[in-house]
Amino acid sequence: MSAVPAPGPRADVPLVRVADLKVHFRTGRGHETVKAVDGVSFDVAAGETFGVIGESGSGKSTLGRALVCLTRPTGGTLRHAGTDPFALSARELKRARREFQIIFQDPNAALDPRMTILRSVREPLDILGELAAPERDRRALEAIDRVGLRADHAQRYPHELSGGQKQRVNIARALTLRPRLMVCDEVVAALDVSIQADILNLFADLQREFGLTYVFITHDLGVVSHVSDRIAVMYLGRFMELGPAQAISERPLHPYTRALLSSEPVPLPSALRTDRRIILEGEIPSPVSPPSGCRFRTRCRHADEACAAGVPAWREIEPSRFVACHHVERIDAGGGG
Amino acid sequence: MPAAPATSAPVSRDGAPAVAAAGTPLLEVRDLSIRFRTGAGEVQVTDSVSFALRAGERVGVVGESGCGKTVTGLSLLGLLPKPPRSRVTGQVLFEGRDLLALPEREMRDVRGRRIGMIFQEPMSALDPVFTIGQQIGETIRAHFKVGAREARERAIDALASVGIPLPDRRCDEYPHQLSGGMRQRAMIAIALVCEPKLLIADEPTTALDVTVQAQIVDLLRKLSERTGTSLLFITHDLGVVAEACERMLTMYAGQVVEDGATDVVLERPLHPYSSGLLRSIPRLSQRKSSLPSIRGRVPSPAEMPSGCRFAPRCGHARPGCEAEQALVDVGARHRVRCARHAELALPGAVAQAVAT
Repeated sequence: MSAVPAPGPRADVPLVRVADLKVHFRTGRGHETVKAVDGVSFDVAAGETFGVIGESGSGKSTLGRALVCLTRPTGGTLRHAGTDPFALSARELKRARREFQIIFQDPNAALDPRMTILRSVREPLDILGELAAPERDRRALEAIDRVGLRADHAQRYPHELSGGQKQRVNIARALTLRPRLMVCDEVVAALDVSIQADILNLFADLQREFGLTYVFITHDLGVVSHVSDRIAVMYLGRFMELGPAQAISERPLHPYTRALLSSEPVPLPSALRTDRRIILEGEIPSPVSPPSGCRFRTRCRHADEACAAGVPAWREIEPSRFVACHHVERIDAGGGG
Repeated sequence: MPAAPATSAPVSRDGAPAVAAAGTPLLEVRDLSIRFRTGAGEVQVTDSVSFALRAGERVGVVGESGCGKTVTGLSLLGLLPKPPRSRVTGQVLFEGRDLLALPEREMRDVRGRRIGMIFQEPMSALDPVFTIGQQIGETIRAHFKVGAREARERAIDALASVGIPLPDRRCDEYPHQLSGGMRQRAMIAIALVCEPKLLIADEPTTALDVTVQAQIVDLLRKLSERTGTSLLFITHDLGVVAEACERMLTMYAGQVVEDGATDVVLERPLHPYSSGLLRSIPRLSQRKSSLPSIRGRVPSPAEMPSGCRFAPRCGHARPGCEAEQALVDVGARHRVRCARHAELALPGAVAQAVAT
């Protein structure tokens, strides 16, 4: 993958710039290295929603954690609005990271069962330690109100709230710090569809109100194409494709993106469904020893010797559309998935 | 909808009657009400659930969490806590017998043999200390008089039939050695090895990736078509129902609120709740637009509203909705529980898809 980052919608300093980012883990057994993230480059512009889709094991959560400095990259660079957060002192990082928050999938696991909602929401401000106690309470209550919870929820405990309400608490908690970036890692995956719609609407409202930037990590194609301005498709630690959300949903270019989109069950009557599903054989290979050349080749029906021999370059096929595939022109012209 | 062709039914190994007569339902649930005893007294979680399933038919049961989908599935197999912790009334007629009235000894012959079941989380449904082959063999030997060798052979056949590569090797592996998708295939192999007439699948693809989900849904549909096994598919995913099931049953707050052919309900739902579920799916909405959500949430069984249970969340509620709503037959095997169904023209999946 080339180190040239994909340009965001705006040309000035992006809020996040990632170049050839790698996160490798040493496993306990032997000398194996899990290449969870293995060389990705992209920019996230202020105010945009950047979607990341991929199957479990694609490295999308590790990427999300690295973006907010919860995991230290083993290679490449990360810039938050031009500065390298890992070059900061611990003190400086603590102050800087308030602007870069993350919300996780499981709303239960993210809340301490013995803390009231108010204490949980106020905790980031307590840790920051910049404001007087009454001001911290005021800010926390303001955030609780903003995410659509009632004031009396503040004195309750997590077990007294529903899953959707708990996820609202987690959003409120991130909001108290007035962040610029929120990484949302599968934030609606555990919720029922109607609750999911409420939470997605809340994210959209908050973005308008506070000018937030989102990195939205999900395996749900419907969700990602609904909320995102641009979408990156991740597979075994690398990006396969990156481009505007609408273009990717309407005309995916990479064979993996095509297969992924065609796997999504569509709630339409049979007469309106295009039954052109591409069933991917097998499952995602181990990130310890990814296939040579193109990582997707073992499940790709277009793969040939070239795919095993060389890693496909990260190319800008059309303006702002990036694809890593040797044969993308041929496949796109053929129209077949 | 035509009944399933009787020709698709196989002759089962023990020579049991292979298929019900055309038109007679394989499974008929009548007025199924489930109550649990809790610290705060008895709560009723389903209320007079009635539906029928024909031989070879695939029916999806949809609704949000807490609608009673899972307990309904469990009750069909007698898997709920024993009385007095639970109290189940009504009838579950299967192959001419009422399963609720069946003694436990006879129920054990039904469970796993005539009706199979698969669950959401294959890792917790499989025993970690036995090989896959032993676990399939256990099911076979519980129902047929076969030796260990034949059980193993049948287990290998079963694994092959659900598309597990190298089945003779996988047979001797433990659950942790298999991936999530392979474990769910193994679960399906266990559930289908005795060639049941009905398979109850409770969220079988929810824990899986979308590409693996596509494989499993495809597999279940093909197996059902090939063997004539009926499928009761419990899921919150309307897309999965659209792809796998001919009919869909929408449940809300412990009641059936709509029951009809999947294509018909998706196109023109008659119940506001079915319509609301469809409309809140991001895929069917304009990108970046506000998603139509269903306000509020499913009431808890202890505080069930009287009359129409959906009325407090329904945008179409009018005076009259506080009255008890009956599940009425509107013809063509379509039933709905809404007094206003005839006057409302509710949006389904199609209007949304065309509008975008």
